Amino acid sequence: MILLLAPLIAFVAIGGVALVLRVQRGGQRELVGSVVETSRTNSRLPSILYFTGENCTICHTAQRPALRALASGIDSNLEIREVDIAVEPELARRYRVMSLPTTIVLDADGQVTEINVGFASSDTLRRQLVGAGMPVAA
Amino acid sequence: MISIPMAIVPFDRSVLKVNQAILMTGILVGYVAGLAYHPIAYVIPLLAVMMLAAVASPSLNMPRLLYLRVLKPSGIVKPRVVQEDPAPHRFAQLVGAIFLTAASVFVVTGVLLVAWVLAWIVAALAFLNFAWNICVGCIMYAQLVRMGVLPLSREPAR
Repeated sequence: MILLLAPLIAFVAIGGVALVLRVQRGGQRELVGSVVETSRTNSRLPSILYFTGENCTICHTAQRPALRALASGIDSNLEIREVDIAVEPELARRYRVMSLPTTIVLDADGQVTEINVGFASSDTLRRQLVGAGMPVAA
Repeated sequence: MISIPMAIVPFDRSVLKVNQAILMTGILVGYVAGLAYHPIAYVIPLLAVMMLAAVASPSLNMPRLLYLRVLKPSGIVKPRVVQEDPAPHRFAQLVGAIFLTAASVFVVTGVLLVAWVLAWIVAALAFLNFAWNICVGCIMYAQLVRMGVLPLSREPAR
């Protein structure tokens, strides 16, 4: 009957891993509502920080095309800043980027409004940009 | 502005869902039955072989064949084609296969508690992916690629 413990032990092990992931991502969530980076352009429009890397497969196959579709579908001059974490590790550290791709939506004041860990569709990003104050034609 | 054109790969998630459903069902039923009759634990090596074969070749992927030849044509499971890279999912399958292979070793050596713990971990991870699309193996893949342990993959979907 010791076998009855098997599911319990498995769930405890997975729960521990989930807790670690939650703590890691929770730390990044604290950035929402704060201004982290100050070297952005003065476009006075919401913008996107796109964290990527040379070896990030999903970045190249999905996230980048989604950003291209987003940019082509918005009338305003959307600023998308692509950040290679190998080139700008300090910026990735400041934004607590733990996995790629990560897209961060900033409002006109450079304040973080949304953080997407993993792939974010163009529809999701568009909705988040509108929420951050981007003027988008209906 | 982004300017580098890259191909997006069509990928049918229903194949994964069928695979996960078979895993969860096999492990759950095998575990419950195995409480009464321990040799039923040999369902674990069977599932391990199924997973290893699926990773090795699409033509040996039994859940995929079941989906393509029975479930999809009959309309029982609808296609869920998305645009994404299949490599992380294949890596996740490999992780599941490794866990089940390790569990199989413990089945053969009679250490059933460890075998079922490993099998339940696989079942729970399969459930996370099945129910909420949380792919822990894919997260591991992303981290390993980021660290340079795994190479960039451009393999086609299958």
